[in-house]
Amino acid sequence: MKKKAYIFGYGSHGRAIADGLKKEAFEILILESNEKDYKESIADGFESTKLIDVTKDELLEELMIEDDDQVICVMNDEHLNVFLTLSLRSLYPNSFILSISDSTHTTQKLKKAGADKVISLYEVSANRIHNILKRPTTTKLLDDFITEHSDISFREMKVPDNSVFDGTMIDDLDFSQYAILLVGMIDEEVSHDFLFLTAGIEHKIDAGDTLVCIGRDEDLAKFEKTIHIKKDLKWK
Amino acid sequence: MKDFLFNLASKMDHSKNYNKTKIFIYNILNNPDNILKKYLDLFIIFLIISSVAILIYEVKHPVPHWMDLYDIYFVSFIFLIEYLLRLWVVDDMRKGILEEHRESKYLNRKFSPITPIKKSLSKKLNYMLTPEAIIDLLAIFPAYRPLRVLRLFVLFRVLKLLRYSKNIKQFIEVLSNKKFELLTLLLLLIFVDITAGIALYVLEEQINPNINSLFDALYWSLVTISTVGYGDISPVTHEGRVISMLIIVSGIAMISFATSVIVSAFSEKLNELKENRIIEQINKNKKFLIICGYGQLAKMFLRQERSIEHNYIILEKDQEKVDHAISDGYDAIKADASRHETLSKFAVNHAEVTVLCLTNSDIENIYITLNAKIVNPTMQVIARANNSNLYKKFIRAGADHILMPNNVANTMLLSAISQPVMHKAIYAILTGKNIVHIDEIILYEHNSLIGKKVSDIDFKAIKLLLIGIQRGKNTPFILNPSSSEVFQENDIVLMMGRKVSHSYFKEIYQDYSV
Repeated sequence: MKKKAYIFGYGSHGRAIADGLKKEAFEILILESNEKDYKESIADGFESTKLIDVTKDELLEELMIEDDDQVICVMNDEHLNVFLTLSLRSLYPNSFILSISDSTHTTQKLKKAGADKVISLYEVSANRIHNILKRPTTTKLLDDFITEHSDISFREMKVPDNSVFDGTMIDDLDFSQYAILLVGMIDEEVSHDFLFLTAGIEHKIDAGDTLVCIGRDEDLAKFEKTIHIKKDLKWK
Repeated sequence: MKDFLFNLASKMDHSKNYNKTKIFIYNILNNPDNILKKYLDLFIIFLIISSVAILIYEVKHPVPHWMDLYDIYFVSFIFLIEYLLRLWVVDDMRKGILEEHRESKYLNRKFSPITPIKKSLSKKLNYMLTPEAIIDLLAIFPAYRPLRVLRLFVLFRVLKLLRYSKNIKQFIEVLSNKKFELLTLLLLLIFVDITAGIALYVLEEQINPNINSLFDALYWSLVTISTVGYGDISPVTHEGRVISMLIIVSGIAMISFATSVIVSAFSEKLNELKENRIIEQINKNKKFLIICGYGQLAKMFLRQERSIEHNYIILEKDQEKVDHAISDGYDAIKADASRHETLSKFAVNHAEVTVLCLTNSDIENIYITLNAKIVNPTMQVIARANNSNLYKKFIRAGADHILMPNNVANTMLLSAISQPVMHKAIYAILTGKNIVHIDEIILYEHNSLIGKKVSDIDFKAIKLLLIGIQRGKNTPFILNPSSSEVFQENDIVLMMGRKVSHSYFKEIYQDYSV
């Protein structure tokens, strides 16, 4: 089943996000209150686009957003955005609401309105400058991962049931033969949080764990295939 | 004689030692960046203070003979040498002579060294007539004991201190801007003083027992104009009193005029003086940031600067924003960073400077980037681009890093949705909030890692993960280097791990050159 993402607002942020999500195979629904932006979204090839007045609760209710859905509030008008977040939160208490804020004041308001994750434009940018000053190479590298300028990237892989790796200790695995680096994992046995490998604890890989690796895309793809080899298949 | 002069000049010009010495002495006397100048200054200041102290002490107490000798001969001798050296480095006479010789040879004219010598001498004379040089000269004369007045020459030594005090220098500079007003005022004062003095002398010389000479009358007049009014001499006739009433009124006017001139001179220059002070302060650092534009991003950047790791200065064109920054407690000056003069005021050659172009306008940011790269290409530039289409233009302008706030936020949001685990990982690495982070080490010369193979180093034992090596700027990143890879000089090594591991690693493979 495809994951659903509701994008409120097809402004500069909305556009970039919709574009990015398209590549990630999400089912995208764009909702816009501005007619001009609405038309543009259709012109850009998004089919499920709706022109609605986001201030009306009954219209929002009709959307029937489910708990697993991602809701992205990136309206151009900050005030409207906060208002929308507030309405959505009261209508759908369990869905995941994300937003981008352009100033510190708005960040606080969006959080108060009930957004689960608020990305403060200036905060992350300022943070970026600090990182550039402190660790230029690292920042550039991570940047490239995200912006796809390089063929190196991070990838998270879920270990399927009955995988060859099921039950192996991490120390017993030689990742260098796959030409990738294991950075960390989510060991469901221990916690749901991401653990960096270098934290120094022995981990056992079980089905359902998530491995996070860095590597060249082709190597990562190869490795992902290896993970999916079934244990019993290997012995045949 | 001519030939002799020419030979001497060319000999001097060819002598390496002579040129070296002259440049050395010039630097030590006049170049504020010279390290030795500081010590020389301190030494001379010590001589001055000790000399004045002896004068004061001597008023009531007999001084030992050696102190006298020290004061009269040693201090004066040093000052004499200093004076002569300063005079020597004012101008190069030999160059003029050689130039003249070349020219006359070229034009088939008779060579005469008189004009260049004259030129050079007149330059030296000009120097001698500057107030600084005159003070220096007068400070040489020893406090000749038998003649009381000559003792006051020691005070010229105090004046000599002016050369070493920046504040007083600036004070004089500020006043010299109002030269015209102050001179007019002085002339007016002299005029009124002399007129009133003569009038009183004529009117009361016979009657008033306190006035014995024209000097007394002039003295009285000045004391009255200045509203000091000692009262040791006062007019006794009606006519005299009328004169004093008149000059008292004019005196008040003149004093308030003088005050206003000086005050306005300072208020005009105050900002500039303050800003120069801030720039001087920042230039003392080996590494600093120039933040251009004080908007939301700059504010956020400075707010995140929990412990002040960087020395910084904010340049902002808008006075209102400058005031805002100052009231927020940051060092800011009103300046246009896109101008060559502004950026060249900073010690870009001596320090590691990073320019942050954070203004709202992309065009402005590109302009500043270009300007910084023209002033000094070694300056690192981090530029903000609101429009991601301008990325290539920023690269062309020479920006080292380009920050696109919209993109950063968008990709963050995207990754939070599509790859939540990776998002958490990258976020944790970048913010350093997690216990684990990526650190990079640059392998400078003498680092003990250089020449070693990757397999030689047991990263696992100290709980570090070697992510890769960046070798040079334009080569691709070596991810997960093979165990036979050899570390080279200037490599940047990226490792992931806890802070303790990083610092332990740095401890083991430290830079031995430090």
